[in-house]
Amino acid sequence: MRRRLYYLLLLIVFLLSYCRNSSRNSGDFVFPEADSIPVGEAEKLSAEAIAEISKNISSPVEIANLLQLLEVPFSPDYLASGIDANKQTTAFEKAFTLGILGADLGYLNMYEKTGSSIDILSSIKKLAEGIRVGQFFDFETIKRLSLNKSNLDSLLYLSIDSYTKIDEYLRGNNRGQLSALMIIGVWVEAQYLATQVVKQYPDKMLKDRIGEQKIILNDLIMLASPYCSRDKEFSSLCKYMQDIKDKYREIRITYTLGEPVSIEKNGGLVVEQTETSNVEMTEEQLADIIEVTKNIRDELITNN
Amino acid sequence: MSGTILLHGQTSDPLITSCRMNAGPNAKYLKDFRVQLAKAPSAGEFRYKAQMSLWKNTKYRFTMCNAEDSKGKLILSIKDDTDKVVISSYDPKSGKIYPYVDFICNKSGIYNLSFDFTEGQQGSGVGVVSMVK
Repeated sequence: MRRRLYYLLLLIVFLLSYCRNSSRNSGDFVFPEADSIPVGEAEKLSAEAIAEISKNISSPVEIANLLQLLEVPFSPDYLASGIDANKQTTAFEKAFTLGILGADLGYLNMYEKTGSSIDILSSIKKLAEGIRVGQFFDFETIKRLSLNKSNLDSLLYLSIDSYTKIDEYLRGNNRGQLSALMIIGVWVEAQYLATQVVKQYPDKMLKDRIGEQKIILNDLIMLASPYCSRDKEFSSLCKYMQDIKDKYREIRITYTLGEPVSIEKNGGLVVEQTETSNVEMTEEQLADIIEVTKNIRDELITNN
Repeated sequence: MSGTILLHGQTSDPLITSCRMNAGPNAKYLKDFRVQLAKAPSAGEFRYKAQMSLWKNTKYRFTMCNAEDSKGKLILSIKDDTDKVVISSYDPKSGKIYPYVDFICNKSGIYNLSFDFTEGQQGSGVGVVSMVK
């Protein structure tokens, strides 16, 4: 019996390792097919898996940074500012909305529209208190920095650090499902922002960034997978994430090889990567991703 | 219950604050890795490991800072998902340690970051990741 259990655990570790590391095949990035670990088994390993995965999901400020690089002007139309924190009643809604607003806060901060972030900050505070993690969100300091518009880097640091601490606390206190929701909420809103902007500014770099999300999509799905059968809300979320994955399935990410080039500059080292990733995505595939992202984001924040 | 409870207005780790400043005025903070390690029995593979997604068309700055009582200096190595080294802040040939590395990323993916202190010594430090133009 003990030996069977040992082999079962070995198999699970192998499958997880395969899902995380061996998704590259013949130079292309493909979704690993062995990503459906039995729910009960996934739950046993979720704390470790979530800890690893949650740290490498991209930050929404990176999408905002790309938009700035492309000289896309700020627009409040993309924000979920209509969200009423008081109407989020379940822990699921609160945690997911916390993620949505976290991404919006990142977008506002990067564009230094910090004076208009106070309403969002108040909603974040309320939602964080609603799931008993308000102590990690330094509302007063973030509000002061936002109003002063004095130090963008400190504002980014405090905002991101607050979310990191909330995430760590939730995972450390057996509330990993809320951490997963928050992270998925951040990603959905950043993806919504990118896909809405690309309709007006169809730049190749932005299209590629949207296509490249395929690289982390499986990780996001694995974050939610231990909880898919937990309740109706989670079951819907898991279905939505699979819907997004389906739209990404045929998008190709290929790689061209090259050696990094390093030069010394001002006492530091500058490394330019010559190896590249390339996205092959049709306009129709992009349109499908734009549509599915909007539908899911709207569906998940319908309470407002 | 595990986890650390912070009070409102509690100040952040001063080493992270000063390291963010070292990253330069135009750097935009993304993430930090706080590394505290005892002396290794022998110098070998880097002991602190983490993962991070890095995205094409982005210039990242990795700034390494050390606490005053740190015996060794914090060094970083980054490998891509094929285990190829793309960055090393330490040049073993010359013995040079770079306090920061700018990385012009042209391949999106999940990268493996490894930190340690020179010669596996005891140390306390932080690696701050920022975006720069």
